[in-house]
Amino acid sequence: MDTLLTQILNSLFYASTLFLIASGLSLVYGVMRIVNMAHGNLYAFGAYVAAWAVGLAASTLHWSLLFIVLLVGALAAAAVGALLEPTLLRPLYRRPEEYQLLMTFGLLLILEDVMRLVWGPHPLTASALSDALGSISFMGVTYPGYNLFVIAVGVVAAVGLGAFVYRTRFGVMLRATSQNMRMASALGIDVKRVYVQAFTLGCLMAGLGGAIVVPIQGAVLGMGIDALILAFVVVVIGGLGSLEGAAVGALIVGFVRTLGITYFAEVELAVLYLIAAVVLFVRPAGLFARA
Amino acid sequence: MTATPALLELDRIDTYRGAAHVLRAVSMRVGEGEAVCLVGRNGAGKTTTLDSALGLLPVRAGRVLFRGQDVTRRAAHDRARLGIGYAPEDAGIFPDLTVAENLMIGKWLAPDGPGTGSVVDDRMRALFPELDALVDRRGLNLSGGQKKMVAVARAMALGPSVLLLDEPFEGLAPVVVTRFVDAARKIKAMGVSLLIAESNVTNAARVADRLYAIDRGEILFEGEPARALEHAEVMKTLRG
Repeated sequence: MDTLLTQILNSLFYASTLFLIASGLSLVYGVMRIVNMAHGNLYAFGAYVAAWAVGLAASTLHWSLLFIVLLVGALAAAAVGALLEPTLLRPLYRRPEEYQLLMTFGLLLILEDVMRLVWGPHPLTASALSDALGSISFMGVTYPGYNLFVIAVGVVAAVGLGAFVYRTRFGVMLRATSQNMRMASALGIDVKRVYVQAFTLGCLMAGLGGAIVVPIQGAVLGMGIDALILAFVVVVIGGLGSLEGAAVGALIVGFVRTLGITYFAEVELAVLYLIAAVVLFVRPAGLFARA
Repeated sequence: MTATPALLELDRIDTYRGAAHVLRAVSMRVGEGEAVCLVGRNGAGKTTTLDSALGLLPVRAGRVLFRGQDVTRRAAHDRARLGIGYAPEDAGIFPDLTVAENLMIGKWLAPDGPGTGSVVDDRMRALFPELDALVDRRGLNLSGGQKKMVAVARAMALGPSVLLLDEPFEGLAPVVVTRFVDAARKIKAMGVSLLIAESNVTNAARVADRLYAIDRGEILFEGEPARALEHAEVMKTLRG
């Protein structure tokens, strides 16, 4: 029973981090029809900035305040997004999509090198935070408190993003723009502004994902590409452009990964790709594709 | 030329769609409180004219004036907020949004704010009373006629001074056409000018104070509907 609960918590932990990354990727695609290859490294950038900021503040601030410092990573990724969209992506919307893929892939590589240049080849850590929360015992299991915190952040992010997209004025305009950009502008919506806001929000989610995992996994080169690949699996299963899809996809990948690590560690990733492949065959646009 | 001051004026505009030169020196004006129809066959350049007026397509030459102000380089959303409403031929209803959400967008962005009343306001209800029953329905669950109603009401939500309607009677049963003709007359009575693109001259004559006939991107007639109907050459071109 207690191993089962631990496994479920592990799965939810994975799902939380995956949702944070995949939801931003999906949101950007949903609104702008751009597959942002650089998304993985915006996640990594959030992780690096968060680790760096926590490192600076660790000696002066109480550990509980360091949780707020983590947000610096998310905000930094959002700021990069707010700069990139109007300058490098906007000129490409009218071009065929391979231009956008090349541009965002180029950005992925550039961001990787920028992080190498700024922070060097060695991983950064922020384990003070995960240490501070220690382990929590309940219902016969002992589980890292920080992982529970990550799960909570994932749930709050999912509910919050859902409420934002489905319950607010901006969300209505965001969905209107994603469904018919011409008509949106004919009704007075400033589509350029919606685009930069959507892209910034997507990058904020990626940066938050990076910042939140850094106390556990550290910030290492290559983490962005690994995360991007898993995020793609999530959105292929769930349906690119769908928030519900990102949530369900993240849960599926989270649970399969946990099972995989326990029972078939050698082929864990292969099983995930297989699931993605089956979904592509059966429902090519993903489980939560729009009609 | 009529004596009413021009609310919306196109001044010798040339517009391209990709490489195709669609509009050639098109000039037209819509006066305050006037209903103007742009009549022509399919592909004559009617939609392109409306798109140019709103800024959905850039003009290569010429000017677009709104209340005498040059808006040629202004973005479509700016022109919409200045007071140019638009209902496209396919209605352009957002399929995943409810009718209420479709209507609220315009109200939120209207210069004088959304107000405090219900989603369907008195003016919309006066045009199409059935809107009240549709507010919770999603766009994709509307019939063709309902979509057109919502599109017209949605364009009114911004509180426009001129409404551009692209083929508002297209694909409607004759009884329903009459309802839309009535709606157009009511809109005019509310003090909102109309620019209607229409391929059927008879329908156009039912609402227009003045009409322009367009063929192959050029205006070939301008005047009162009755005069167009008497004009053998114009009628021959319009009927094909």
